[in-house]
Amino acid sequence: MAISFPSTEYFEALKGQMAAQPEKFRRLGFIDTTFGVRVGQNGKARNFVLEFEVFDLKNVREVDAIDLRRVDFAIEGDSRVWREMLENISRNGEADSLHDINTLAHFGEQLKIVYDDPDGHDKLYRFMESIQKFFDLSSKVEVSFS
Amino acid sequence: MAYLSTTNYLEDKNFVDKWLYTMRTGELDLSWMKASTEKIKPHEANARRGLTYRDLDLGSYGFTGVPEKVRTNRSYAPRGAEIPAGVPDSQPWVSRKSEVWAFNTESYYEEAVTRQWNVTTDIPWERLDGVELPETTGKALSQLMTFLTEVEMIATDTPAMWLPRLNPDFIEVKAFIAAQAMDEARHTEAFRKRALTTGWGLMQASPMNEMALKHLRDADSFSEMSVALHLVAEGNVLTLFRFSEYLSPTDVDKRIFRLVMQDEARHVGYGMQHFKYVLENFPEKREVLHAHLDEAENISFAGAAATELTEAFIILAGGGLKRENIEEGIKITTKFNLKQMEEHFERLEKCGMPERKERSKLFQMYQAGVAAAEAAGIKL
Amino acid sequence: MAFYADKDYTVDETVLEAANQVMAGNLGLHWYDAKTEKVKGKPSDPRRGLTYQDLDLGSYGYTQIPENLRTSQSMVARGSEKVGVLPDMGYVVNRKSDVWADNVTDLYEEDKARRWTPAIDVPWAELDAHPLPAPVEAACSQLYTFLQECSLVSLDFAARWVPLINQDFIEQKSWLCAQMLGWARLGEAFRKRALYGGAGLGRASNTAEQGLKEWLWADTFPHGSLSINLSLGGFVLAICRHVAAFAPSKADRVLHGFAMQDTARQTAYGLGQLRYFLSHRANELPATQSYVDFTEHVMLALLGSPELLEPLIIISGGGLEKEQVRSGRLAVSKFIPLVVSEYLERLEAAGMSGRRERSRIPSVIDQIQVAA
Repeated sequence: MAISFPSTEYFEALKGQMAAQPEKFRRLGFIDTTFGVRVGQNGKARNFVLEFEVFDLKNVREVDAIDLRRVDFAIEGDSRVWREMLENISRNGEADSLHDINTLAHFGEQLKIVYDDPDGHDKLYRFMESIQKFFDLSSKVEVSFS
Repeated sequence: MAYLSTTNYLEDKNFVDKWLYTMRTGELDLSWMKASTEKIKPHEANARRGLTYRDLDLGSYGFTGVPEKVRTNRSYAPRGAEIPAGVPDSQPWVSRKSEVWAFNTESYYEEAVTRQWNVTTDIPWERLDGVELPETTGKALSQLMTFLTEVEMIATDTPAMWLPRLNPDFIEVKAFIAAQAMDEARHTEAFRKRALTTGWGLMQASPMNEMALKHLRDADSFSEMSVALHLVAEGNVLTLFRFSEYLSPTDVDKRIFRLVMQDEARHVGYGMQHFKYVLENFPEKREVLHAHLDEAENISFAGAAATELTEAFIILAGGGLKRENIEEGIKITTKFNLKQMEEHFERLEKCGMPERKERSKLFQMYQAGVAAAEAAGIKL
Repeated sequence: MAFYADKDYTVDETVLEAANQVMAGNLGLHWYDAKTEKVKGKPSDPRRGLTYQDLDLGSYGYTQIPENLRTSQSMVARGSEKVGVLPDMGYVVNRKSDVWADNVTDLYEEDKARRWTPAIDVPWAELDAHPLPAPVEAACSQLYTFLQECSLVSLDFAARWVPLINQDFIEQKSWLCAQMLGWARLGEAFRKRALYGGAGLGRASNTAEQGLKEWLWADTFPHGSLSINLSLGGFVLAICRHVAAFAPSKADRVLHGFAMQDTARQTAYGLGQLRYFLSHRANELPATQSYVDFTEHVMLALLGSPELLEPLIIISGGGLEKEQVRSGRLAVSKFIPLVVSEYLERLEAAGMSGRRERSRIPSVIDQIQVAA
């Protein structure tokens, strides 16, 4: 059954996939970061906070608004951009170079990285391989878009 | 400030104007495209091994072609690049290849990168939960770890100190030295972590050994540093690791010593290959190295007075402080001491310095030690 | 030689006597009751293993390192009992705030956990399967030549300071060693990439090298770290992100994916160190502002070096055709203010408030944007 994006269930499904591949993520190293995901649609947004620890996604929750002082950074984007990225991942098994987080967020024109402290911002790049591989797990989940 | 660029680029109108022009017009200068450098096409000799430095040993980029005296590059330019006028002098102290080079340097580096391990996660620390060593063994192990922590930190400072002094053309040596510094930092970490998990903490410093460590660092040339650090000190430590693995009171300790041994053997390997290289390619250096070995061996011998180490080793080897434990410990420690010296002279001989035995006071001590051990019925 | 043992030990009776006594079974055991704290550390999280943070215990911990180290100049491991005459190693960096960062132990542990191997982790054969157009490959070769210069300077910086920093800062020195290997590995990756593409190396940059040497040779560790870790690290990080975003091949994308992780750690230490330094030594702020006033021109030297700028335009646009250059130029005109903006942002976040207003760089960058 397809899981709707964005939703807590979607991130929980990726969390399950991540836990099922411990060696892959162990090899990439510790991932200690908490970040937000904001998916905008028609002037509204749904917000999630993902808390990673050691090699796992420890916790995910939906919040009314992302408090940038309590996360390292947040990835913001219109649902259209997120959808395009996830569909690309679904087609290729992983994001191609036009649809990975780094590319989409590079100039802040499609996805945007917002943060309170640049040290938190730099964590996106410190853990980029793990974060990208986490989103690439979307290829193993049937996703529907509301 | 220690160095000022020849130009302040904020005040260099030509520089900024040229930049603005490029950005405004898109007219690229492209003079760099005409760099008079060689075009090569390397291949992976072994796909499983990937693309190695040895695969890049081609033409002007290769390490084989580095001349004995590097006269043309003193900047930060990578070997083989075109070097324009105006680059700064990186002030290398060592620009003579035979002072630093070792046969297979590039392989030692590649091996180091692929064989990195992590003290935090590759040692099964959880297995120490509930393990209580007897006081004697626990303290002896902690004392050994305390000594090794001192050793490994100087082994970090010493290569690091030399690295920026090496000519940038010695890319593979600099890379190997960087990897060595990380290896030694990891060893410090391993021994410190183990000492702090015994229940006894760290123990007592070893003044005599610290004097030896200072000697390692303060050599006049890279070759002398290398013979003292890589060949003599790390050679001795490698033998120590092998015996320590054998004597380890827990599986966790065995695992630590097996892993550090791999790294140490790599450093000794580099040291031997460098020693061979310098003797073959810089024969005038032989007497200088002999003289340095005289000092290094003197200091090795001084280590006999570092009883805080010898005693800890005897206790670990014998398994305790009872008379029979000590007797057994002394037998094993005697074998260890003699093995260290035997291997030291074996290495020197293999590298092309067989005459060392005739000159060395340490060798005379070794021979006397062998005779005494045999007289005491210790089977070597 | 700079250091000789104080005597010929092979004829020293006290050494022989000490050794003979022990080997006769008469153990003195002067070390056995060492006056040190008894601890038994253990992993706080089994998944993570035993970290340095787990051993931040009592007299062994890094939390208790004092600001001024007045009694440690030898190789003694922090927390051991000091006895006898210990050698003076001549450390010249003995103040915690000169080197420490609150994230330094995290970064060291993270570095080891996130290691990679350029020889095998980059899909080099992709470059054979999908060769790049000649101008793009030439641009890559030039870009990677430039990046090797940056790597070498960063490597030399870490190595230069390790032997000068007091032994009690073990975790920080270990981190510098990890940096050394990190920059050696990046230099390796950049060299391999440049040469594997078939275009050889390009031209060294006298503009960049002059600037890099100024940063490398800073008088103090905090100033050098600001320049090399925060400024140069952040600059190379931005290049990695940019090239990954405009990657001409899968090999380049993978390489920069790993490289951005490594350089982000260097940058994080640079920010963390400067923040620690200024928060503990507020009186150093004016001197640090003045140092940056004086040396920030190096950021321009790097950004405006033709050996970087032009290849970046070609890579970003995909070639040398007019339209490609136009598109590359636009991308680079966004890249340059991004680098400067993040650089100033980090300085401000570290405690250099007012830096953005004080800096002379933005006025030049504004002109660049207008020109583009």
